[in-house]
Parts: sequence; C-alpha cells; structure tokens
Amino acid sequence: MSAYRSCRTVRSASLAAYVFACLLLLSYRDVLSAEDFNESKQLFDQYCIDCHEGSHAQGNLDLTALLTKSKFDATLIFENIATGKMPPVDADSPTGGERRNMLSWLAQQQPEPQRNSFRRISRHEFVHSVNDLLSTKRDLSDQIPGDRGTCDFDSDRRIPLSREVLGSYFAVADRMLDSAFPPKGFANEQTWVTNKLKDSHETYNVYVRDHEEGVLFSWTRANNGNSYSFFYDNFDPAVAGWYDLTFEAAKVGDFREDISLQVHAGKYYYADDRPQPQRLLDVISLGNRELKTHTIRVFLNAGENVSVHCYSRHNWRQKSPKEGAYIRQLKVRGPVQDHWPPDRYEQLFGDLPIETSANPKPERRAERSKSRSPDHVSDYQSSLQRIGGRISVSSFQPGMEKENMLDGSNRTFWHTRFTPTLAKPPHYVIIENPRGVPIHGLSYATWSGGNGNGQVKAYSIFASDDGRQWGDAIASGELEVRLANQQPILFPRPTAHRFLKFLITDAKTLDGRSLASIGKLDVIVSTSREAARTKVAVGSDSPMALRETIKRFAERAFSTQLTEAELTPYTEVAQKSLQEHGDFVRATRVGVKAVICSPRFLMAPGEHSSPAHAQVASLARTLWLSVPDGELLKAAADSSSSGLTENRLRSQIHRMLADSQSDRMIKSFCDQWLNLRSWNKVSPSLKLYPKYDDLLHHYLPLETRAYLAYLIRENRPVEHLIDSNYTFLNQRLAQHYGIEGITGQQLRKISFDREVPRGGLLTMGSVLKVTTDGFETSPILRGAWVSKNIIGTPISPPPETVKAIEPEHGATAKTLREQIDQHKNNTTCYACHKSIDPYGFALENFDATGQWREKYRVEKPHRGTFQFRLEGYFRDGGKVDSSGEISDRHFADAFGLKKLLLSDHRRVGYNFARKFFEYANGYAPDLTQRLALLAIIDEQPHQCRMRDVVTNVLIYSLSEKVP
Amino acid sequence: MNSPSRRDFLKFGAALPVGRHALSARAGQRPTKNPPKRVMFICNSLGFYGPSFFPAERGNLESSKYLKEVGSKDKMTVFQNFFHPGMETSNHDSEKSFLTGAARPESSSFVNTISVDQLLARHMGGDTRFPFLSFSIYDRGWGCSWNDRGVPVPPMHDESFIFEKLFGKEDLAAKRRQLKTDQQIIRSLHRDMERLQDHGDARKIDSYRTVVAELEAGFRREQFWLETKKPRVPNTLSEDQEFAFSTKIRNLLELARLAFQTDSTRVITLSLDWIYGAIRVPGATGGWHTLSHHGGKPDVLAKLSRVEIDIMKHLNQFLTALDGIAEGSGTLLDHTTVVIGSNFGDSSNHTCNNLPTIVAGGGFRHQTHTVLEKPTPLCNLWLELLHKHDIDVGEFGSSQMDLHLLQN
Repeated sequence: MSAYRSCRTVRSASLAAYVFACLLLLSYRDVLSAEDFNESKQLFDQYCIDCHEGSHAQGNLDLTALLTKSKFDATLIFENIATGKMPPVDADSPTGGERRNMLSWLAQQQPEPQRNSFRRISRHEFVHSVNDLLSTKRDLSDQIPGDRGTCDFDSDRRIPLSREVLGSYFAVADRMLDSAFPPKGFANEQTWVTNKLKDSHETYNVYVRDHEEGVLFSWTRANNGNSYSFFYDNFDPAVAGWYDLTFEAAKVGDFREDISLQVHAGKYYYADDRPQPQRLLDVISLGNRELKTHTIRVFLNAGENVSVHCYSRHNWRQKSPKEGAYIRQLKVRGPVQDHWPPDRYEQLFGDLPIETSANPKPERRAERSKSRSPDHVSDYQSSLQRIGGRISVSSFQPGMEKENMLDGSNRTFWHTRFTPTLAKPPHYVIIENPRGVPIHGLSYATWSGGNGNGQVKAYSIFASDDGRQWGDAIASGELEVRLANQQPILFPRPTAHRFLKFLITDAKTLDGRSLASIGKLDVIVSTSREAARTKVAVGSDSPMALRETIKRFAERAFSTQLTEAELTPYTEVAQKSLQEHGDFVRATRVGVKAVICSPRFLMAPGEHSSPAHAQVASLARTLWLSVPDGELLKAAADSSSSGLTENRLRSQIHRMLADSQSDRMIKSFCDQWLNLRSWNKVSPSLKLYPKYDDLLHHYLPLETRAYLAYLIRENRPVEHLIDSNYTFLNQRLAQHYGIEGITGQQLRKISFDREVPRGGLLTMGSVLKVTTDGFETSPILRGAWVSKNIIGTPISPPPETVKAIEPEHGATAKTLREQIDQHKNNTTCYACHKSIDPYGFALENFDATGQWREKYRVEKPHRGTFQFRLEGYFRDGGKVDSSGEISDRHFADAFGLKKLLLSDHRRVGYNFARKFFEYANGYAPDLTQRLALLAIIDEQPHQCRMRDVVTNVLIYSLSEKVP
Repeated sequence: MNSPSRRDFLKFGAALPVGRHALSARAGQRPTKNPPKRVMFICNSLGFYGPSFFPAERGNLESSKYLKEVGSKDKMTVFQNFFHPGMETSNHDSEKSFLTGAARPESSSFVNTISVDQLLARHMGGDTRFPFLSFSIYDRGWGCSWNDRGVPVPPMHDESFIFEKLFGKEDLAAKRRQLKTDQQIIRSLHRDMERLQDHGDARKIDSYRTVVAELEAGFRREQFWLETKKPRVPNTLSEDQEFAFSTKIRNLLELARLAFQTDSTRVITLSLDWIYGAIRVPGATGGWHTLSHHGGKPDVLAKLSRVEIDIMKHLNQFLTALDGIAEGSGTLLDHTTVVIGSNFGDSSNHTCNNLPTIVAGGGFRHQTHTVLEKPTPLCNLWLELLHKHDIDVGEFGSSQMDLHLLQN
C-alpha cells in the first residue's frame, strides 16, 4: 500500500479558503463543553479513521491508538487540518464548525508545554539597549559569542545564558563605557586634507592618474578577484570614533549611470596578494559632472585608513583613465561630537555641573592642524622630517637623490653613483636626529621597479653622538629583495643618539658592480601617538547626587520604578568607588555597569513595578531590540493597574513601527526568519558569476529589508510577501535584475510590468543566493527554505535509509531532475518531498546570485593560476525546466508558483503570524495560541494586512494567554 | 582584595593550581620531569571518506590512501567500528553529540550532556592558566564542547585573538583594577539576587546565579594567574589567504602545539566545521558540504579527497611536530593523547556508523589498526580515556564498558 494518498481530483484552493473562512466566521472558544468535547472526538471517527487506523494507517498515523490517549502532541494533525491539507479533497470534508471543534479538541489534548518562563537577552539586544541608554553608537555585538546554536530565533527561550556570554557582557560593558566616558578624555577634533594616494602595486598604478588637482580613478579587480581599492595617505586617526569624510568629487565620462564610490576602512597593505580585510563604510553615488562635496559619517578604528573603489561598468580597467571618478580631495574631520559636551552627560547627570578641561600639553599635531586652512592640500611629511631630522648619503647618482627616500613614494629612489664613475663601497645613509627623539627603528622599502640591481640584502646600523665615533653595531640583519612591502627594522631598544648610520653590507648586483639603492627609508618613532584630549568631569562629590544619577539610569534600564531597598545594591557599589577615588564619573560607571550586567537587565522579562511597565519593556525589546523610550515609560506610568488599553497599545505599536529604531527589528527578523544572517557565509564562484561584486553583496539584503519595512509600515496586504509589481532597487540592483533606466545608488520603490519576475520575497536576489552554496542551485534546499519559511509546512527529517542527492548541473542537468524524480518513485521520500522539491524547481530560472537564466552555466577550466576576468569561465549547459506540481496543480515556472501560492493568502498570512509570534515570544505557538493566530488572519485578501498582523500578534502576545 | 592566597582558593572552591607542574609553570618553565598528561580532541565534522581512510589491509596503514603518508605510524591506532547510538534521523546535528554521546540531537526537546573534554578539563585543568581551550575553524558559536548543563561552550576561532590571549602582553594594573571592580559589582548583584529570590521568578534568578558563580571563579583564576608572566613565544601563524581554509586549520593546530608546549592548558578541542560555501585547497575548489554528499560519483570524490588529504596533511604535521619536541624521557606526543574523529561515518548518507577514529600519542602501546568485532559505542572509548586520566566514573554517555583498548 502506498504511503501517500494519490489525489487525482483537481485540488482546489477554494477548499482551503473555505476552511479558513469557516474557522474565522465562527468565533473561537477556548474550552469546549463536555458535550462538544465528545462530539469533537466523534468527528475524527467520522472523517479520519477510515484511512488512519491500525497498522496500515496512512502516513503511519494510527488515530484509534492516539485518540484513546489523554495527552499527545497533535501539532502535525492540527496543522494539516487547519491548513486544509486534511482530510484530502476526494474524501468527505467536515464543515467549518466541525473543523473548528476538531482543532479545539486537539489543542486540549496538547500536553502542558515545557518551556522556560524567561530567557537571556540576545547580544544584539544588549548592545542596542546599552547604546540607547548611553547615547553611543558602537556595534560591538561581534565581540560577544553567538549563542543561538541551531535555533532559528535569537529570542528562543531554550538558549541559556552561558558563562562565556555573560563574561563578554562584562567585558563589552567596559568597552562601551570607555567610549561613552573615555577615562583619558575625549580626543580633540582634527582635520586632515589630502589628495595623495598611498603607493600601490605597480600593476595597479596604471588605473589611476593625476587629474586637475586630484586623482582620476577607473575600476579594477585584482587578479584573484578581490576588489582592488586605493588607499588615501597622509591621515591616520589616532583614536577610534566617528569621522566625517568629505569627498570633493565628480563623475568624468559621457554615460548616463552614476559611478559608485565605495568607501572602505582598513589597514593599508601594499600589494594585492596580501590579505586586505576591509569594511565597506558607505557608498557615494556620483552623478555630478561638476565638483561637488559628498559627506559621509563613518566609524574608524585607531590607525585605520580609508580606501576607495570606483565602480562603473563604463570604466573597467581603463589604463590612465579618461573616464571614471575624479576626486579632487578628501577631507577627514573627527572624531566628531554632535554636541559638546556630549548629550549623555546631561541625560545621565541631569543638573549636576559639567566641567571640561583641555589637556594642558596639546600635541604638535594639533597645533599644526589649527594653523591649516581647510582647503590646504597637505604635503607628505616623513617621520624623520617631523622630528626635525636630516639625512646624508655616501654618494648619489644625479636624478636619484637622497630626498627620494623621504618623499613617501617608492617609485622614486636613491641610488649610489654609477656614472661617470662608480662610487666605491662602503655605501651608507646617515640619519641625523638633532633633537634626540627616541627612535624605535627604521622603516625600509625597496624601489618598486627596475631589475633589482642595488637592492639591499644586508645591513648594519651604528649609533654615534658626534657623527665620528661609531662603536659596535646596534642592529644588523638581512632584508628581502624584491619585496614591495615596507620592511620594518626594529632596534632592541629605542635609541636617542644624534647620528645613526645605515651601512649597506650586501646588495643585489646583476653585473658584479657594487651598487646600492633604496626606495624609502624613514625612522620609526613612537608607536603610540597620544592625541590631544579634553576631559569632561562632573563637579560633584555628593553620594546623594550619585544615588539619584544611578536611580535615573536604573529605572530606564529596568523599565520600572525602584524602591529604595531595590536600588541600594546598585548605588552602594558606586558610592564605595566615589569614596575611594573621589571621581564622580568613575563612580557612576561602576553603578551603570552593575545595572547593565544584572539579572534584572540581562534576563527577560525583567522585574517590573506594574503590568504596563512590563508591556512597554516587552514592546521595546521586540520592535527596537532595546529599552523603552521616555514616551513609553510615561505611557506606562500613566496607565491603570491592569496595563495599557488595547487602543493605547495599538497606537504605541504604530508609533514604534514608524520610528527608524524599528529598522533593527526588520533586520533582525529578516536575518532570522529568512536566514539572511548566513548572508556572508557564501561567496559566489568568480568563475561562474564574475559580475557579483561587493556593491551587489551590500545592496541585495537591503532590498529585502526595505521591502519588508515598507509592507509593514505601509500596511500592505500579506499577499505582497509572495508577489507584487514593485520592489526597492537602485542602479546596481536594477543592473543585476536587467531593469533599465535606473540611475543612482539610493534605494527607491520601483514598479514594473507583470513580465518582470520580481516582486515578493521568493524571487529576491538575497533569498535566491542564501539558499545556494555559491556554485549551483539546489532545488531541494531552496524548496525546503520555501516550505519552511513561507509555506510553514513542518518537515520531518529524512529517514536514515535515504541517500542524499545533491545537484550536478551542466551536461547532466537532466540527470538532476531524474535523480530528484527518484523521490517520486520512492514512496518514503515522496511523502515529504512532494511538498518540498517543486518549490525549488519553480525557482530554477534563478542562478546562485538570483539572476534570471534560461540555461545552466557549466564551469570551464582555466589554465595555470586563476586570473579574474569579467567574462568568467563558463559555457552554456542544459536548458532550465522550472515546471512542477503541487497538490496536483501544475505550474510552469516561478510566475505559476506565485499564482498558486496567492490562491490562499491565509496560509501565507498564518505562517507569517506564526513566525512573528515565535520571534516576539521566543517559542513556537502552542495549539491554543495557533487558534488565536488563525483568528487574526482576515479572510479577505485585501483586508489581511501586514501591520495589522504584526500589531495583533503583539497585542495578543501581551495578553495573559501568552505567558 | 589582594592577590588570592591558596587558602582563598580552597575557601572559594575554585580550581587551584596545586601540583608540581603548576609551580614550574608559574616560574615560566616547561616541566621536563614527570611531564603532565594532555588530551586533544579533533572532530572533522563532515567525516572522512571511509574507503580512503581505513586501511584496506588489516593492520597496514600503508594500505590507506589518507594514512600512508603519515609519520609516527607506530604512535597511533586506527579504530574501526565505533558508532554513536541514538542517531536515527538525518543527523544534521550529530556533531553536537560527538563528545557527549547524547542521543537524538535533532529532537526539538534535545538537551545535551557534558562533553568528555569538559569532564577531563574539570580534573586536569586546575594547574594551568587555561583549564581548557576550545577551537573551531568556523564562527557559529558552538563546536564540540558542552558544559554540565548541556550549554555549548563557544569555541574560539580567531587565531590572532587566541594568540593574544595565550601569549600577548596585558596591562596588568588595569586588569587588576577591572577584576577588583567586577568582583565588587558581583557582590552587589548577589545582594539584589537575594531579594529577587523571594520577590521574583526564582528559577530565572537561579539560572543567572549559576552562571555568575562560574564567572566569579573565572575571575579568581585570572587574578591568580596575573601574578605569573605569560610565556613569550614567536608568532609563527601563517597569513596565507590563498588557501584560507588550510591556513585556519594549520594555525589552530599551531596554537594547540604552542599551548601544550608552554603548558598553558592540558585539554584542547578543535572542531573542523566549515560547512558553508566554497573552500579552496590545493587542487580543488568547492563547497565542502556539497562535496561531502558525493553519492559515490568519482569526479566529486576526487575533489573531496583533495580536501580530506589537505586536512590530513595538517593533522600529520601537527602530530609530527609534537613528536619532535623532547619532553622528559620521550616527546610531547608521548604525553599528549590526540583523538582524531568525526560524528559522521558516512556523511554522504548522513550516517553515524563506523566512525573514522584515530588515537595517537599518549604513550600507549599502539596497535596501528584495531577492527572491533561488532559495532561499539564510541562512548566506550571516551569512558576509557576518562579512566586513563584518573577520572573514576562508571559510565559516560552511551558507554557500556571500558574495553581497555589502549595499553600503557
């Protein structure tokens, strides 16, 4: 007997629609009367037992055995009846009322759920909350280990607090407090202006050239496919903080599209075959042909540089470019503070006097920046010049003078004399240090050209106070020849001698002549430069004032009103610090840290003085991943003892959704529900998808977030999760999707015709990419993704005997379908896979980056080392067949699948409500709760709207039915 | 509170460096007489292709494609026929049970049990700066180590971070101040917890209290070790990004070697679990996970074996390196039991039978190749390793008995 029922009759979606309608029209009751109870049980005899009885029961489900049990897990049966999957269409079907009774009966059979009444707050909730409480903006969540494990949602109550995570909270709290109240004071703002690039690998130098007063860039990628970017020189932030980067730039070229200026932060590496870990800070869309300033605010760590990558499909690898991005100059200002002293002092310390005091010894650097006019383009200054030093050399060849070692470039170089006469050894460089500044070492680089002749192989360094008596070498060693990178030579200990001699003891020679050449030679002075700082202190030593300060903070953090006794542990520890050190800010930090590391803060729900406080804390956690703002706390304080009324809750939820802080929820929910958190885990193959780049990688998930945010904020129908005639695009995404005429990189809502296969989540590049391994698409994996996340079908893991099948495209593309079709021939597989694989097949027209395709791509081998090229390495393979069948309804492709899914908007809406419930509450709804969620879903497609669903799920979650 | 005395340690019940080795470790020297025992567990989460891993000819490692190149063959035993009971579903999460033996890891109500490395660390971890180290080549927050409440111990994956932690300089004065403040804060939190115990959700407070107590013990340990300088070693980590996957494995094994050699810890766990996306090893590029579902296809197997040979190469280098470091009357490998294994016997079919298992070093009289007569719970081996390290437990996970497979 086959394990699945063959349904030959045409499966109509209208049945499911009918089921839902009946469920909703009849109001749902929590508890069945005894009479109803027996009646419900009989309904199973009437509609189900025929097939589900005894040892040969369909789907291995023996209801007679089950129904005699007092308690059992009926989730699967419940879902099948609720979504109209059972009883099958060719069998007698219960009426809506009967169906409702059956579901209620099943809900009552559910054993009492075993779940925690609490959870730890997630690392994202921790970081956002502390940022909001301290008015800082530092994302340190990556300093805290992820503890989600294999749970879908960060809020899952099964995730316990671990020692490592708690330890990280203690450590990260310090780091966040350090940025809020830097112990050494706030670094003074500085301005750097530069139009100079750091030396680049000679193969890439050709893609930039001097242009007017600045530099013109074309676009290139390194041979290994890395995005190649050019670093700016002559500024280095000494402290971490927020900086304003102002580019004065214009587009050069006669084409319509904007050029994208990708701005990265990272440490400078000379050559492209070095690791170049860089963060994309922001993208500037360059459409202006006249020079214009573009300012972005970015976070830079100490010592990080800024690099640019100028992407446009019109200027690919233009040597000495004629088109591209012209950047006249970059101005960097920072670390910036919007208010001085920063807002948080007033927020935290209220009316207490705030005192600022400048560091009495401002550093030379700050003096220089003061005298600098804003438009002045600074010249390169070597460290030796900065400490007032000079160099002299044993000999030089005209045109290759000693100054070339100090000009910041290793394209210019010093060379010993070789014509008209050859200089005799010894060859050396003498460094003069008249001020006696401690020198830690020398920084050496070869010159980046030539045949290697004269490059230093070995050296010795001597010190002297008078330039005559040299004594023993203080350092000697060997250097790499033909290594373009700077090679630091560190002394065993810093030396303050007035003279240093760099003696070349061996140099490369191709022709036996004694030669020496150096691209760069500079001194390494202090490794840690102290920036000028301004201290901010609070002029109080009152323990009572400290108590008030901690109280204000703790009540916001805990979302409660604290009694004196409750407050005491937090104030005492702070007061003790005040007593010991007399530093009000330092003492406050201790109290604040105790608050944000306490169980009241880290365990949710917290301890609240009223139900209303608990409600607003829960809303803030779900929608903002944070603590309540002033308005929520006020609403809580003003409400009655039973909590906020439904109307007030509704208006607060709407306000919170409209606030940009709910972007955090959108991101978090997309990451967890749609699995976009795996976004960075897979990089598409450069051979098959050479056009996939950082910019696309950056914008694809933004499209999904913008779309979901729009659906919720504008209260669009839940149907739009599946299909719509619009999405959020910019120039790069539109290029990827083959949509013409969109200029500029700002995301905006774009409507399109019906033949465009976009609109809805399923055909978004982000979703299509995240379900692949970067090479091939897998209908099984994509099908499982759709089934789990969009349809909500519970999937049981495959049986042990099943051999996994993974796709193999190209010449054997047909085999893939044949292989997967084995599922059909194997009844064990087919029972589940009939509701998994077809969804994946429908999406086969989309490749692993989400681009439309008619044919598969087959990878071609490359010769020798891989060299990136824009046309990739592939040929066309077999034709894509994206047809399939779900519940006996045939579809031809993704368009057909969407249509099929749209025929039952309730299922989509119910699944969304279930996922959002789980996101908000940290567990999957039990059956009683599912009945309530079913009731939230409006039967009219146009009345079933996203913000309504979100709001109603949240209001329901705040009721006592959701513990 | 000043630096804690031994008395404080006993009073607070924290792990206390007691043995001879601790004293010599504190003096910054590697103990040479009576070297301590160490243990390392390495889990290759996608298994090894059986026919290439196991010797074709019984007892002859030369007849294994993967093992024929391995040095120190006389210091290892390849075991055949271990399995984990209770793996009857798709076993996607079987890695969770590799060192615990807990059944049905895919069940929604699954709660793990303590892993064998953590149990060992409790007994062997007292004398070193770190009671154990847990590494993973991938950042997903969990690996093979689980504490006694079944909570994953997040492994470390960033090599330079680990290097800093083990050997980097610290601002000791700042660290002392911070530890002192944190201890004061925790004391005040305890006062609040006493209140909350009566007025709030007692289970919630208990769960926090348990964890904060562990953190406190950790703080005391840190405070104790602040008085001892960290060992200084040259940074020998590779920065090769051409083969990032291989570099990661190589570096973590290198850190393991350095940690053992400097006696910074005696228990290390390494999870090889890079399951997303494509990786590149010499001679092949592909999704490791995709390749592991080879379905017996020769071209896929050819690529997969490149990955597995690369992994084996690094493991071999690691064992050879340990065996090259003289210690006491033998080598570091003689005092370090290295277990190389996997949660999968056949990852193409997701089955957990005939798990590829190697025990190397540890000073045992190795048998080279031991084929067990019938499928045997891997936990029998874990139980035996616990006994070999003087931990007197009657059973562990799904163990039946100590089979005395390893002879001293």
